[in-house]
Amino acid sequence: MSISDFDFDSEDELTLLETLDHVLDSGLVIAGEVTISVADIDLIYVGLNVLLGSVDTIHKVLGERVLREKKSDE
Amino acid sequence: MNLYAYGLSDEITAAALAFEEGAGIEGAKPFLIECGGIRAIVSEFGGERVEVTRANLRAHNRVNGLVLAETTPLPFRFGTVATAAGLVQYVEANREMLLATLERMRGCVEMSVKIMWDVEAMRRASEITDETLPPTAAVEGAVGPGAAYLAAKRREMAASEALKSKAEEIVAWLARGVGDAACETRTEVEPERELVVRVAHLVERVRLDVYRERLQAAREERAGELRFLTSGAWPPYSFSNIASQKPKFA
Repeated sequence: MSISDFDFDSEDELTLLETLDHVLDSGLVIAGEVTISVADIDLIYVGLNVLLGSVDTIHKVLGERVLREKKSDE
Repeated sequence: MNLYAYGLSDEITAAALAFEEGAGIEGAKPFLIECGGIRAIVSEFGGERVEVTRANLRAHNRVNGLVLAETTPLPFRFGTVATAAGLVQYVEANREMLLATLERMRGCVEMSVKIMWDVEAMRRASEITDETLPPTAAVEGAVGPGAAYLAAKRREMAASEALKSKAEEIVAWLARGVGDAACETRTEVEPERELVVRVAHLVERVRLDVYRERLQAAREERAGELRFLTSGAWPPYSFSNIASQKPKFA
């Protein structure tokens, strides 16, 4: 799975978010057979943001990274 | 014993895929169940409810990724647990539609494009004043709180429309840029959000290079204005739905 354009420190985490975005809200469903539980709070927090149609979280992470880079350049 | 279901395929064979031990959910080994010409990719699952954890998400993705390396599956939504009899029954009940969808997806993968904009900057750029709106008999020259409220509401609606138009222009622009490199497209537009456009493209594997070139060119064209998150290749999650039910959160 390749992720492009956004060059993250933690590409793995971004891949996970993209995975979350794909696998939780689309795909075949057997009626009444999909029941998931919220086990990993951090992940769910981020995941629900993604589910709600937002990569604001990714955006925020990206923004923070740019800020960090700016600071380290100074 | 319940089964965790990853996807369906009419091409995958056990011999063609050497599933790694422990590749599946909770370290289980994936295997195939024959459902009359359609094979379900599954692994044994002890529970009834799947926890959304990093490990489980990766496992779901890993198994479908292994299949995608060989052929294009119809992926199940994360968390699909069924009995073997339930799976067979599902395939039997939906055989025609599943076979048609498998045929439509054959040789294709899903590519994802997310486009972000600075929604506040866009709002400012689309700022509506009474002077920019066509006069109406109800508002023009009217005073008082009721008229002020209506005028504000009118400006708000006009601004909303302006944002929507800009977002739709982005969708049309992207469609022109990608052209026939994508055989199908699913689009979601949310003009009021930072993530303004989400697009899933169904792309033939043999045309992936063309698709990527076109997408890159389009991205460069509006690099200063928009931000892009592109990913793929994915199993065709956005094109596989033959039902529209949402997962239940426990």
